[in-house]
Amino acid sequence: MAISKEAYKEIEDVVGPENISDDPSIKDAYRSQYLTVVLPGNTEEVAAVVKLFNKHKIPFQVQSTGWSFYPPEYDFIFVDMRRMNRIIEINEKNMYAVVEPYVIVAELQAELFKRGLTCNMKGSGANTTALAMSGHGHMGLSTGTGDRNDLATEWVTDEGEIIRLGTVGASGEWFCGDGPGPSLRGVIRIGGVMTKQSTKIYHWGGPTKYALEGNSPRYTLPEIPANMMVRYYSFPTVEKLIEAELKIGESEIAFELMGFCPSMVSSNITTNNEEDFATLERFTKEVQGPGFMVIIIGNFPGDFEYKKMVLEQIIKETKGKSLKAVEDHNAEATLLFQCTRVTGSIRETFRAGGMFSSMMVQGQRYDLHVEWLEQAAVWKRELIKKGLIIADDGQQFGWGEEQGHLGHTEIFCRYNPYDADSFKAVHDWMDKVAKLALTGHYSVPVNSALPIEEIGSQACNYHIWLGKIKQAFDPNLVGARTGFSYVGADTAGAHTLVYPPKPPAKQP
Amino acid sequence: MSIEQYKGDMEMCCRCSACKHIPLQMVRNPAHSYACPSIAKYNYHAYSGSGRLIIGREALSKGINYTDRLLDIVYNCQMCGACDISCKYAMDMEVLEPISEFRMKCVEDGHANPALDKVINGLHKTGSMVPVKGKRGDWAEGLNLKNATKEKVDVLYHVGCLTSYDKDMQKLAKATAKILQKAGVNFGIAGDAETCCGGRAYQMGYREDFLNQAKKNMALIKKAGVKTLVTGCADGYQAFKVLYDKYNLKGDLEVLHITEYIDRLIKQGKLKLTKKVNLNVTYHDPCRLGRLSEPWIHWEGKKIPGYKFVFDPPKTYRRGTNGIYAPPRDILASIPGIKLTEMDRIKEYSWCCGAGGGVNESNPEFAAWTANKRIEEATSTGAEALVSACPWCESNFNKTLKATGSSLKVYDIVELVAKAI
Repeated sequence: MAISKEAYKEIEDVVGPENISDDPSIKDAYRSQYLTVVLPGNTEEVAAVVKLFNKHKIPFQVQSTGWSFYPPEYDFIFVDMRRMNRIIEINEKNMYAVVEPYVIVAELQAELFKRGLTCNMKGSGANTTALAMSGHGHMGLSTGTGDRNDLATEWVTDEGEIIRLGTVGASGEWFCGDGPGPSLRGVIRIGGVMTKQSTKIYHWGGPTKYALEGNSPRYTLPEIPANMMVRYYSFPTVEKLIEAELKIGESEIAFELMGFCPSMVSSNITTNNEEDFATLERFTKEVQGPGFMVIIIGNFPGDFEYKKMVLEQIIKETKGKSLKAVEDHNAEATLLFQCTRVTGSIRETFRAGGMFSSMMVQGQRYDLHVEWLEQAAVWKRELIKKGLIIADDGQQFGWGEEQGHLGHTEIFCRYNPYDADSFKAVHDWMDKVAKLALTGHYSVPVNSALPIEEIGSQACNYHIWLGKIKQAFDPNLVGARTGFSYVGADTAGAHTLVYPPKPPAKQP
Repeated sequence: MSIEQYKGDMEMCCRCSACKHIPLQMVRNPAHSYACPSIAKYNYHAYSGSGRLIIGREALSKGINYTDRLLDIVYNCQMCGACDISCKYAMDMEVLEPISEFRMKCVEDGHANPALDKVINGLHKTGSMVPVKGKRGDWAEGLNLKNATKEKVDVLYHVGCLTSYDKDMQKLAKATAKILQKAGVNFGIAGDAETCCGGRAYQMGYREDFLNQAKKNMALIKKAGVKTLVTGCADGYQAFKVLYDKYNLKGDLEVLHITEYIDRLIKQGKLKLTKKVNLNVTYHDPCRLGRLSEPWIHWEGKKIPGYKFVFDPPKTYRRGTNGIYAPPRDILASIPGIKLTEMDRIKEYSWCCGAGGGVNESNPEFAAWTANKRIEEATSTGAEALVSACPWCESNFNKTLKATGSSLKVYDIVELVAKAI
C-alpha cells in the first residue's frame, strides 16, 4: 500500500469503499504503481479528502478528463474527478455556464447549440473538460483562449478550504471571476482543486445540431448549413499570412481561424494513415506556402455575403490561394463539424505515431516568434530526413487569438514513443528549441523542457515568486506539484522549486 | 490469435478518452454521451477501453498480476465494441480485439469467472448457453416445419439457445416461422439437432469451446447441404458471419440476420405487410447486428519498421461503418402504422443492452443497470415501445422493466412483422 492503512481508511470513510483503490490493476491503468486513486463525488468530499492528505502529509495530484498522464515517482494520491460531471447551470441571459470538472466540451456544447450558443473549445478537443483552463484552440479568434473564459469559480485550496471566487463568493451568482467577492484568478492555476467553474458562452450562428449522415468514420453533411463556409488559404510568405490574419481579425468576420499546416488539414479530413499521407502529398504540391483555415458563419444571408466579400478582398490583397481540395463538399463538411464540434486533435496529433511533443508560445502574437519556430522547423526537418519522426510538412504554425490581439505559435513532432531513437531525438529537439527561445530572447518556453532555474533566471526569477505564493497556499507541500492538469498539460506548479524536482521524461 | 500480436495497438493508446464517449460530433444530450457502460458505471480509468489496453500493455511487459479487482475489470465488460468504434473514428488501432484476447488469456490461465464457468459447463452437457427444459425443438411442435437435417431446404433457420429454450422468447421463433411460411420460403430447422453457435462462449473468453461449437455447426450445415443460414439472434449472426470466418470455418455459407432476410423478401415482393400496427417505437441496434457484424477482414502483414503505425500490406480496419443498420429500419418503415423516433445513440454508436460479454450471467445487476440506461433513453423519445432484433436484448430489457415498473413495451422486430402480415 502506497499510503498508511489509517489514512486509507479515513479517506475511504469520506468517499466510500467503491471510490478509493490501490489495486495494482487500477494503478496500471493510471500508469503508476505509486498512486492510490480517489474518486470524490462532490465539493465537500474533495475538501474533506484534501484535509486528510494534509493531515497525513500525502502528496496529491488532480486530473479530470486528461490526455496522457505522466505520474511522479513517489507515493501519492491521484484524485480522479470523473464522478463530478454535472452541468450545474446554463445562464442564457448572462452568457455563462457552470460546470463540474468532468463535463466534457461535447456535452456542454450539445446543450448550448440547442439555445443558439456555444463555448470555447480547447485545442485538446471536445473530449476534454469544459472548464475554462489553459489551452488554445480552433475557436481562439472569436472566443479567446481557454484561460480567458473563466468566470466565478469554486476552488478547494491545497489545504482543503472551499473558496468561492468572484461573484459567487459574494452573491451566489456566477457571472464574473473578479468580484464583487475574492479574486484569485492567477493563483487558482497553480494548485488546489477546481470543483465548479463558470465559463463564458457565446452566440452561435450555426445549426442547433449538425444533420450528419453516414457512419463512422465517414460522417458527412448532406449540405453545408446556411451561411457557413470553410476555406484553407496558403500564402506566398509568412509575412503575407500574418497580414491576412490581422486583417481578418480587425474586420471581425471569422468565427474560427486556425493556423493549420497542410498536414493538419489532411489528417482531419482523412480516416486512416495511408489516406492521410497520400492526401498530404497532394496538398503539399498545391499550396504556395504557409496557410490557415478559416470558418465564416453569417447570422443571416446578408451578413454572410458581407463577410465573404471582406474575406475575398483580404485574400486578394495578401495574395492568398484557396486549397481547392477544401472547396470539395465532403472536405468542407468534415472540416466544419470537425473543427467546431470535435477539434482535430486526435487525428492530427496521435494517429500517425501514437504521440506528439509540442513546443509552443501561448498568448503572444505569431509574428513575434516566427523566426524562432522557423529555426525549430529546420531542426524538425532534419529529424524527418533521418526517419526519426513522422514525415509531415515539417512546418510551424500559428494564428491570432481574440481577433488577432493575441496569438498562438506552435510546432510539434509526431512519433512513436516506444521507439528509443525517436523518443530521444524528439526530447533533444525540445531542449534545443527551448534553449533557443531563451538565448534568442523570443519567449519563456513552456512544457518544462528546461530546468526551471534556467528559465526563471531569464524571466525576472518568476519561479521564486511563484514558489512563495504556492507555499503560502500549500504549507505542507502536498498540493499539486505539477499544477492543474485538467487537460493533461503539466504546467504552472512545475514552475517552482518548492517541490521535489520532476524526473526527466522517461520512455514508456 | 494472442494478446502479443496487439502489442503495437496497445502502445498506440494515448489516453485521449475518446473510447468513453460516442463520437463527439454525435453527442446531442449530456445524459446520453457515453458509449461504454463499464466506465460509465465503474468510473476508474481501468474500466474504459483505454484502461484495458494500458493494463494489457503492462501485462505484456511484466506479466499478469491476478487480483480480484483485475478479474472484476476483465469480466465487467459487455464486449460491446463501442470503445473500439469511438477510438477508430480518429485512430488506426485495434481496441476490442486485444481486450477480447486479454480475457481469453485469463480463462486460459485458469482465472475464469465462476458464473461463466457454470454456463460453459452447461454448454458442455447440453449444447446450450441457457438452462435446458425439454427439447430444443419443442417450440416448433404443431407448426409443421421441415427438419433441415432430413429434408432438403434452401434456408436453415438457426433458432439459437435463448429463443429455443426460454418460454418467454419462443414467441420469436414462432413469429419467424410464420413470416417465412407466409413468404413461401423453403426453410427448415435443425430441431433437436441444433446446437449453440458458440458466440457467447467466445465473448465470455472461451475460445476452445467456441471453436468446438463452430465445428459442430459447420459439420451439420455441410451435411444438410444448406447454402443459406438465417438467424434471429444477433449473437448467433455475428458468430456465424464474422467469428466463423475469422477462424476460417465459414466457407461460402451465406449468413443472414432475419432482418436482412425479411427486408429482402419485402423488396422482392414476396412478403407484404398490410395490417396496421399503430405504435410509436424506437429502435435499439443490437451490438452484434450493428457495429460488430461487419465482415471479418482477413489480413496478414507486418508493421513497417520505424516510427509510423502503418503496415505492409496496408491494414483495413473494421470501424463499424458497414454494420446492419438499414434493413431493420426499412422494415419498420414498411409496417403500416409504425412511427419510428430515433434515440440519441444509434447504429455504430448505440448503447449496449447490457446482456453481452457474459455480464448477464456474471453480474446481473450491471446488466440491469445498463439496460435501465437504455430504457430511460428510449422513454425520452416518447416512444411506446422499444424494438430490437435480438432475443438477448429483449430478454434483458424485459427483466429490467419488470423491476422498474415502466410502461414501455419491448418487441423484437419479428413480432411486429408477424402482426403486420
